[in-house]
Amino acid sequence: MEHQPPVSDRLVRTLQWVWLGVAFLLVGSIVLWIVGLIRAAWKLDDVLSASVGISIVAIPVFLVFMGVVFYVFWGIALHGRGRED
Amino acid sequence: MALWGMVIDLDRCTGCQACVMACKAENNVPAVGAKEAKRGRVISWMQVLTETDEEHHGANMRFIPRPCLQCDDPPCTKVCPVYATFRNPEGIVGQIYERCIGCRFCMAACPYNAKYFNWYSYQKEGPGQNPDVSVREKGVVEKCTFCHHRLQNAREKALAEKRDFDPAEYVPACAEACPAQAIVFGDLSDPASEVSKLAHSPRAFKLHEELGTKPKVIYLTEGETSG
Amino acid sequence: MADPRDTHEDILLAPIEHTGPGFYWAVAFLSLLILWGAIAYSIQFTEGLGVTGLHQPVGWGFYVTNFVFFIGISHAGTLISAILRLSKAEWRRPITRMAEVITCMVIFIGAGQILVDLGRPDRMLNVLRHGRYQSPLLWDATSISAYLTASLTYLYLPMIPDIAILRDRLGKRKLLYSVLALGWTGTEHQHRVLNRAIAIMAVLVIPIAVSVHSVVSFVFSMTLQPSWHSTIFGPYFVVGAIFSGIAGLILTMIIFRKAYKLHYYLKPIHFRYLGQLLLIMSLLWFYFTFAEYLTGYYGAEPEEMKVFWAKFTGPFWPFFWSMVLCNFVVPLACLASLKRHTVGKVMIASAAIVVGMWLERFIIVVPTLSFPRLPFPEGVYLPTWVEWGETAGSFGLFALFYLLFTKFFPIISIWEIREGRETSLKEVEERIVSYLPGEVEEKT
Repeated sequence: MEHQPPVSDRLVRTLQWVWLGVAFLLVGSIVLWIVGLIRAAWKLDDVLSASVGISIVAIPVFLVFMGVVFYVFWGIALHGRGRED
Repeated sequence: MALWGMVIDLDRCTGCQACVMACKAENNVPAVGAKEAKRGRVISWMQVLTETDEEHHGANMRFIPRPCLQCDDPPCTKVCPVYATFRNPEGIVGQIYERCIGCRFCMAACPYNAKYFNWYSYQKEGPGQNPDVSVREKGVVEKCTFCHHRLQNAREKALAEKRDFDPAEYVPACAEACPAQAIVFGDLSDPASEVSKLAHSPRAFKLHEELGTKPKVIYLTEGETSG
Repeated sequence: MADPRDTHEDILLAPIEHTGPGFYWAVAFLSLLILWGAIAYSIQFTEGLGVTGLHQPVGWGFYVTNFVFFIGISHAGTLISAILRLSKAEWRRPITRMAEVITCMVIFIGAGQILVDLGRPDRMLNVLRHGRYQSPLLWDATSISAYLTASLTYLYLPMIPDIAILRDRLGKRKLLYSVLALGWTGTEHQHRVLNRAIAIMAVLVIPIAVSVHSVVSFVFSMTLQPSWHSTIFGPYFVVGAIFSGIAGLILTMIIFRKAYKLHYYLKPIHFRYLGQLLLIMSLLWFYFTFAEYLTGYYGAEPEEMKVFWAKFTGPFWPFFWSMVLCNFVVPLACLASLKRHTVGKVMIASAAIVVGMWLERFIIVVPTLSFPRLPFPEGVYLPTWVEWGETAGSFGLFALFYLLFTKFFPIISIWEIREGRETSLKEVEERIVSYLPGEVEEKT
């Protein structure tokens, strides 16, 4: 291997948390946005049924994404290294 | 609550375009110029469509003045992604120019082509315009509103004079300008009004009624004199 | 793991390690396209949509066509890859990564078309603040953002072991690869977690992908307009999307096979299998088209027939019949027998289909708008250089994104190829044995 500046483990760890945070922020804000749309429909007496109907499907889908991302992060980055079996 | 509607008697219409011009002046509808007009960008909230009579080999020309039909079940408001077009409780389909994002979905959905787009910045605010109607910027959709500002003015005037508002005080510019008195305007929810009576005339028909849009602009076919 | 270092793996890492003049030429060419698009858009942004050929009544043209087309191409990737993974098609291994990258890149381009199409792009945020779910455009926004999130995750997860390889083997971008590799060391536990996550995503991504193009079709079919208001538009669009997606994937594979010398990995057999899939989709596409137009023709509603004849014999006939030629005749001729000249034949068919499917989107969007119900002045839509520029720029941007991706990450999954070599051979044998007649072990 050629020469390269060593990469600080702590920096890598921190950035990985940031990486996870960005993913959560993205998905979380989409969920919040959908909830906001339901509220807007309610307030304006617009078509609430459409908002509710779509949200019932959409929100769980985004929550599953969050779950998968967290599962991978947990299983690989946090837990995986400890178990060198 | 009132339900504003219009009856247009095709027997009386001469195709003179007075309604079109009155509408343009009243609502600050921009003149787009000959070059743009040639490219199909004329903005005309009230438009006189012409149809040749197929039965008589084009001998007869039929004029159909077409404002926004103010559907009671408007296909355009359903598809708007931002609530920029809506049907108000009195049945008028409005457009919020400040909110419209210019996606033109409502134009694609309207079966009557009653919505128009500002392809360029066609005009700026200036003298000679009607101060009651906002001037539209580029990139937004605009449409006939049954001269909604006239309704607001009439209501305010009644309020200031401490009396009840009389529906007869509210007439859109096109109906007012028609020299042949082909356009009758009024409250469809009042069975005694002239517009209600005419709407139940045997000559009454609606444009593409089969689409279920429930237009509140009702036409009277030709036939009073010739039939 | 020992180092049974497959010397051919170096081919896969080569584009990341070294950059030749070809890359710069490609970037320069693509930049020109993008520049054209950028100039076109900046003029449109300041002057207004008037600089395009759009008018009343044809308010939608190239941009909406491109939107439907690009979102369709995006079905190449994640959907195909998920189906192949779930069906345990072993030949998928060198293909999946390329497919997934197409999806992720092209979704951005596709969604961008809607922004370009807006009269007031400065009010774009109104969709977030005042969005309403009765509008099919909001269905699009939701569905596409779900698809984008899913596709990015689904691209990233199978890349983690490869990023770890890059981290360990490559001298550069150490920090980037270290962070993205999530501390992957290849333990059994990590493999188990990763495979499970990939499987969940593969299952999830299929319905989302189907929903995306159904919802895109709903933009048209929810209106009352002739030739749009059709119940089969959802499945018709999905079929067309997969069809054009596979064609796009094949073209990408052929280009990178040549540019990065991947002949060792992408063999004629891969193209033959994809070609067969393409043939099936071509037949399916024809079936849907036939059903759609026959229904309209037989019912013979006057409004419907105006649009119908405009496509068959009227002003749009060159587009319509080129579409049939490109989507059905050429693919059928090329793909019927793939024993010899496989790659060449598949390439011709794919190129034809990409063009044909763009025409199909165009022929759906424009003719309906050109023939209004009322005796309205009919419009002829002639795109200006602005729309051509934006379209060229979009293709350029997509290609540039793709090219840059290949400079950061391997375009063929290294670990999955290894896995295929090391464990799948045995697995497949066991699987076949389990299909053969014999004692049934499981409880019934």
